[in-house]
Amino acid sequence: MTIAPTIQTAERSVHGVRPQMPRPRDVLREHLHAIGYALRVPMLIAVALGVLATIILAIQIGSGDLDYNFLTQPSVLPGVIGALLPVAMWLREERFGPGFLWTLPVDRRRHALLKTLAGWLWLMGGVTLFVLSLLVLALVSGGGVLPVQTMTTLTDALRLSGPVNPAALQTVQWTPGALIWAVPFGSATALYLLASAIVLGIRYLLRWAIVLVFLLPIATGATHLISRLSGNEWLADMPARALVQLVEGRFGLEALLTLRTWSLDNRATLTTGERIHVWSSIPDLADWRTAALLWTVAGLLALWAAASRHREERRA
Amino acid sequence: MTHPDSDVGEFAVATHGLSKRYGRKLALDEVELRVPEGSVYVLVGVNGAGKSTLFKTLMNLERPDTGAAEVFGLDTGGSGPEVRAQIGYVPERQEAPYRYMSCARLLRHAAAFYPAWDHAYADHLARALGVPPEQRVGGLSKGETRRLQLVMALAHRPALLLFDEPMDGLDPLVRRRALALLAEHLADAPTTVVISTHHVQELESLADHVGVLRGGRLVAQMSRDDLQRTVRTYELEAPEGWEVPKDLHATALRRSSTGRDMRCTLVGEERDITGRLLAAGARVRGSSTLALEDAALAFLPEEPS
Repeated sequence: MTIAPTIQTAERSVHGVRPQMPRPRDVLREHLHAIGYALRVPMLIAVALGVLATIILAIQIGSGDLDYNFLTQPSVLPGVIGALLPVAMWLREERFGPGFLWTLPVDRRRHALLKTLAGWLWLMGGVTLFVLSLLVLALVSGGGVLPVQTMTTLTDALRLSGPVNPAALQTVQWTPGALIWAVPFGSATALYLLASAIVLGIRYLLRWAIVLVFLLPIATGATHLISRLSGNEWLADMPARALVQLVEGRFGLEALLTLRTWSLDNRATLTTGERIHVWSSIPDLADWRTAALLWTVAGLLALWAAASRHREERRA
Repeated sequence: MTHPDSDVGEFAVATHGLSKRYGRKLALDEVELRVPEGSVYVLVGVNGAGKSTLFKTLMNLERPDTGAAEVFGLDTGGSGPEVRAQIGYVPERQEAPYRYMSCARLLRHAAAFYPAWDHAYADHLARALGVPPEQRVGGLSKGETRRLQLVMALAHRPALLLFDEPMDGLDPLVRRRALALLAEHLADAPTTVVISTHHVQELESLADHVGVLRGGRLVAQMSRDDLQRTVRTYELEAPEGWEVPKDLHATALRRSSTGRDMRCTLVGEERDITGRLLAAGARVRGSSTLALEDAALAFLPEEPS
C-alpha cells in the first residue's frame, strides 16, 4: 500500500528550484516602515511636546531670560529613549515561540538583527533632530555650541567631606571638543543595544528583574559572611562597590550618559558658610569615548548572543 | 500503518523518523510522513495528536528530538528560510500579529517578505473572504482573523500550503466560500496542501491522501482510494462468544454486536479479510465502504460509552 505521487509530472514541480527570497534591504526597509507605523502615536506626542518646548523657549529667549549652552545633561533623554525603544518594538512580538515574525522566510537571527538595525536608524534620526534642535537653541539664544565652561574645582577632592577653605579652590576653563555632540548618539546607541539584547534574549523579563532585585542583598550578605570568616574586610562591600563602579565609575553608565557631569558636580560649603558648586574634577571626553566604546561593544556582543537564541534550529 | 518510501525526491513533504517530546508527553513518535507533490493531504487526529507540532516542525519553528523533515527536497532544519518561502502557513491559533495595524497594512507588511506576492490576488482574496481592509487587526473577530490568515497564506501563491485547522472559527457560509477559493487556487496553480481538520467531510471533494495521527504516531497514511477500498465495514454472523481473530486485531478497528450478528470495521483487502474471517468461523454477510471521514476516523480510538 505504498503511496505513489498523484501528480508525478506536476505543472509546477519545485524540487531543486531555488525559491525567491526577500532581499535584506527590502526586509530592512519594511521594518523601517513598520516601526514608524507602530510608533507613530508616541512620535506625534514627542513632536507635540517638542513644539510646546520650542514655544516656551522662544518666549524665554525673546525676554532675554535664556542663555543656553550646549551641554551634556540633555543627552540623558536620548539614552533613556534608546533604552525604552526596544521594549516598545519587541514586546509586541511573540519573541519566543512560533510568532509571526519567525514564520517569515528570513534567517531568524538575521531577521532579529535587521529589525534591531531598523529601530536604531529611527533612534538615530530622532537623536539627530534632538541634537540639531539643541544646537539651534544654543545659537538662537546667544549661547555657544562649544561653550567655554568656567568651573570651580578643588585641589584635593577628599576635602569635600567637610567645609572647604576658599584657598583650596581654583577656577579652570573647560572647552569641550566637538566630540561632545556625539554624546547623545553614543549614549543612545549603547543603551539601545543593551536594551535590545535584554528584550530579545530574556524570555521572562519580570522574573529576571525580581531575581536581580534580590541578588544584590544576597550577594552583599554572602560577601559580608565570607569577609567575617576570612577576616578580609575588603570583600564586605564588594557587590555595592561593583554596582557603584558600574553606574558612577570612570567608564560607568553615568560617564556614558553625561560625561559624569552629575557625580563630578558637587555642592560644597565653604568655611565662610557660603554654598557653592564645586567640581571634583573636569569631565573628560577621552573617558567618555572609552566608556562609549566599552558599552557599545558589550551591547553588540550581548545583542549577538540574544539574537542567536532565535537562530534557525540547525541540526548537525 | 505508515508507508515509508525511499523515493523521497518525489514528495513535497517527507519526514524520516520524526520525534518530538515536550517533557513527558511524546508529541511526535517516529513519524514517516509522505505527501506527494500536487496532492491535497488531509491530516486527521484528535486534539493533542501532534498535528500542530508536525506543522511547526515543517516550518522549522520546532526542533525535532530525532529524525528529519524535508520540504521539496530541502532539509527544514538546514534551509528554514528557503522552506518557509515556499509555504503558506495558517497556524492553529486564530491570532493575527500586530494588532495595531490595519488589515491592509498587515497585508502590505507580509507582502514585503514574499517577492512572489500577488497584490491583485491578495485584494481579490480579501474581498472574496470579506476581510475589512481598514479595520484594525486587534478589532477583528476570530473568524475575521482566520480569513485574514488565509489571505496571507495564499497571496504569495506558495508551492505548499500548511493549514492547521483552517476552518475553525469560520461560519458555514464563509467555510464554503473559503473552500471554493481553495479549489480555485488549486486549479490555477498546482499546489500541495497539507491540511489538518476535524471536519474531513468538508474536504471530501479535494482530498487525495489521508494521514491519521494518534498519540503522535502516524497510524495510517494512504491515498483516498486506498483508504476507501481497504477500510470497510463487515457484517458477520458468528457463534456466541466469537472474537475477531488475533491476527486481524491489529487492524480490527471498531465492532458492535447483537447476539450472533456482528459489525466490525476492518482494514485490509476485502478478499483477504473475508477469507480470514471465514477461516476463523464467521460468515461474512456483506461488506460496505465508508465515507472518507468515517474511514479516517475508524483509526481513532472509540469514544468511551
